Amino acid sequence: MVHLLAMLLVAVLAIPIAGTGLCLLLPSARAVQTVLTTGVLTAALAAAWLSAAVFSFGPLNALGGWLFIDALSAYHLLLLALVFALSTVFASRYFRHEHALDARRARRFGALWLGSMAAMTLVLLSNHLGLMWVGIESTTLVTTFLIGLHRSRESLEATWKYLVICSVGIAIAFMGTLLVGASATRALPVPSDAMLWTRLREVAPLLDPSPLKIGFIFLLVGYGTKAGLAPMHTWLPDAHSQAPAPVSAIFSGVMLNTALYCIMRYIPVVEAATGGTGWSLRLLALFGVISMVVAAAFILFQRDAKRLLAYCSVEHMGIIAIGLSLGGLGTFAALFHAANHALAKTTGFFCAGRLGQIYGTHEMKSLRGTLRAAPLWGSGLLLGLLGLIGVVPSGTFMSELLTAKAAVDAHAIVVLVVFLAAAGTAFIGIFGHAMAMAWGTPPREGMAEKASLLDGVVVVLPLVVLAILGVWMPRPLRDMLEQAARIVRPAP
Amino acid sequence: MTGYADLLLLAVLALDLYVVYTSRLAACVRASALQGAALALLPVAHYLENPSAHPAHVLIMAAGALLLKAILIPRLLTRALRGANVRRDVEPFVSLHLSVLLAGVLVGISFWLASVLALPAAGHTHLFVPTSFATFLIGFLVLVSRRKAITQVIGYLLIENGAYVFGQSLAAQMPFIVELGLLLDLLVGVFVMGIVILQINREFDSIDVDQLNLLKG
Repeated sequence: MVHLLAMLLVAVLAIPIAGTGLCLLLPSARAVQTVLTTGVLTAALAAAWLSAAVFSFGPLNALGGWLFIDALSAYHLLLLALVFALSTVFASRYFRHEHALDARRARRFGALWLGSMAAMTLVLLSNHLGLMWVGIESTTLVTTFLIGLHRSRESLEATWKYLVICSVGIAIAFMGTLLVGASATRALPVPSDAMLWTRLREVAPLLDPSPLKIGFIFLLVGYGTKAGLAPMHTWLPDAHSQAPAPVSAIFSGVMLNTALYCIMRYIPVVEAATGGTGWSLRLLALFGVISMVVAAAFILFQRDAKRLLAYCSVEHMGIIAIGLSLGGLGTFAALFHAANHALAKTTGFFCAGRLGQIYGTHEMKSLRGTLRAAPLWGSGLLLGLLGLIGVVPSGTFMSELLTAKAAVDAHAIVVLVVFLAAAGTAFIGIFGHAMAMAWGTPPREGMAEKASLLDGVVVVLPLVVLAILGVWMPRPLRDMLEQAARIVRPAP
Repeated sequence: MTGYADLLLLAVLALDLYVVYTSRLAACVRASALQGAALALLPVAHYLENPSAHPAHVLIMAAGALLLKAILIPRLLTRALRGANVRRDVEPFVSLHLSVLLAGVLVGISFWLASVLALPAAGHTHLFVPTSFATFLIGFLVLVSRRKAITQVIGYLLIENGAYVFGQSLAAQMPFIVELGLLLDLLVGVFVMGIVILQINREFDSIDVDQLNLLKG
C-alpha cells in the first residue's frame, strides 16, 4: 500500500510534466485543449486522492526522501488541485471570446499552463530545500510568458517587472537556503542530509542560530517577494492586471500561497533553533502589517478592477502572514484563510476577466450596471468581492474573526489595531467599488451572450463552498487544518 | 595564505568594479564572461587547496559553469545587444562616478558583514564570503542604477554570481544536482529575459526601462 502511494506521489508530479511535453507535440489547437483539460483534471484528481491518503495514513515520501508530503503540503496541494481544475475549465471558455488561439499559440499556452502546474506541485512536494527553491524559480520562468500571452506594451512592461523583481527575490532566497544549509554543518555531518527538511526539523535545536537567522531574513524577503508581501509586492498589481484572467486566478489562488508555504516550512525549524522565542514570527508580523496597510491605501484609490483584486491579494497575504505570526489559533486561521481567499479570488478574477472582455475595459468607471449587462459575471464579481471583504456568511469572515481572536489571546495589541483598521479600510473601499460596478446603467443593453452551464459552475461552485464554510466547517476539514497547523507551530 | 582561489576571487571583485565603471555595454558583457570564467575555475582551485570533494563533481561543475557563464550567456547577451542595436548605457540613473564610489562602500560593507557573521564553512580562504556579498550587492546597484534592460540583466547575473561564490564556499553541503539546477535555471532565466528584451525593443523601439511606466497605482 505504501509502495503504491509512493508511486502516486511521483505520479502527481509526473502527470503535468508529461502533459507539458505532449502539448508541444500536438498538431492542432483542439488536440491541445483536450490534452490540457484531461491532464489538469487527472493531475487534480490524483492530487486529491494523494491528499486524502496522507490524512488517513500519515506522511509519505518517495525518491529517497527527496519528495515528501505531510498534512501541510497535502492541504496546499488540495487547494492547488481545486484552483487549477476550475481555472482550466474557465480558460477553455475565456479564450473562446478572444482571437482564437492558433495551433502554435495553443501549444505554447498548454505547455506553459501544465508546466506551471508541475512547478508549483514540485514546490509543495519537495522535502529537499534546494529542490523546493528550484520549483519556485521554475514557476517564475514558466509563468513569465503567460502574462504576455496577449502582447501589448502594458503586458510587456508587466512581464519585465515580474521577471526581474521575482528573479532577484529568488536569488535572495537562494542565499537564504544556502545559509540554512550552512547552519547545519555541525548538526548534520552527512552533507546529503543537510538540506532535507525532515532531517533539519529533527536536529533543529542543534543548528547554529546566527547563520540560520540571517538565512531566514533572506528567505523571508526572497520568498516574500514571490508571495507578494509589501514592500516587495510591486510586480504583483502589474502582473495580475495584465495577465489573462485564468492566469491571474492561478497567480493569486495558488502561486502566492505556494511562496508563503515555503516560508511556513522554515518557521518551525527557526523557532526550534532559536529557543521558541518567536523571533521569526515577529519578523513575519512586520511584513504582514506593512502589506495590509499598503494594500488598504491602494484599494481606496483604485480605478482598475483587476488591480483592485491584485491589491486585495496583497492585503490577504498580509492577513495570512499576521495569522501565522500569532501562532496557536492564528496558524489555524491563517491556513483556513488561504482557502477562503483562493476560492473568492478565483471567482473574482474569472468574473472581472469576462466583464473586461464584454465591456472592453477593466476601468471601474466604465464597468457600470454589470448585474444587468451580464447577470452571471456581474453577480459573481459582486459576491466574490463581498466574500473577499468578509461579509457574513463567508469563510473569510470566520477566518478573519479567528485571526482577530488569536491577536487578542496573544495580547498583540498593535497587530490587532492595524489589522482591524486596514481590514476596515479595505472593506469600505472594496464595498464602494463593488456597489458602483454592480448597479448603475450599463452602456448598452444585452451586451453578454447567455452564459453556459460550465460558466455557471466555475462561478457558483467556489462561492457556494465559501458561503458554506462561513456557517459550518466539516469535521475532516477541521482535522486537516489542525494537523497542518501543528506542523507550522507544534504545540509547546 | 594566498592561493589560486584568492587570486580568482580578487579577479571577480575587480570585474565587479569594472562593470560598475564602464558605460559600454559590450565591455560589460565581456567583463561578465571573464567573471564567469574565473568562477568556473573557482571549484578547481578550491579542490587543489582542499581536496575533499569528488574530483568528477568538481570537473563537471567547472565545465558546466564555463560553458554557461563564460560562453553561452555572454553570447545570448551579445546577440540581444545586436538585436536591440544599442552600445552604451548613457545617462544612468546614478552617475558612473557616484556608482563607483557606492560600489567601494558596498565592498567595505561586505568585508565588515563577513567578519561579523563568522560563517563556519568559509574554508581556507577568508575572501569567499566577502567577495560573494560584494558581488551580490554590486549586482543590486547595477540593477537599480542603469537605464538599459540589458544592464539590468547583467546586474542580475552579478547577483547570481554572488550566490554562486557563496555556494562554492559551502560546496560540501550543496548537493551536486541542485548546483547544476542552479546553472540551468540561470541559463533559462537569461534566455527568457533575452526574449522579453527583444519583444520590448520591437514594441517600444528602445530598451530603456524608464519607458516602462504605463502601469501605475
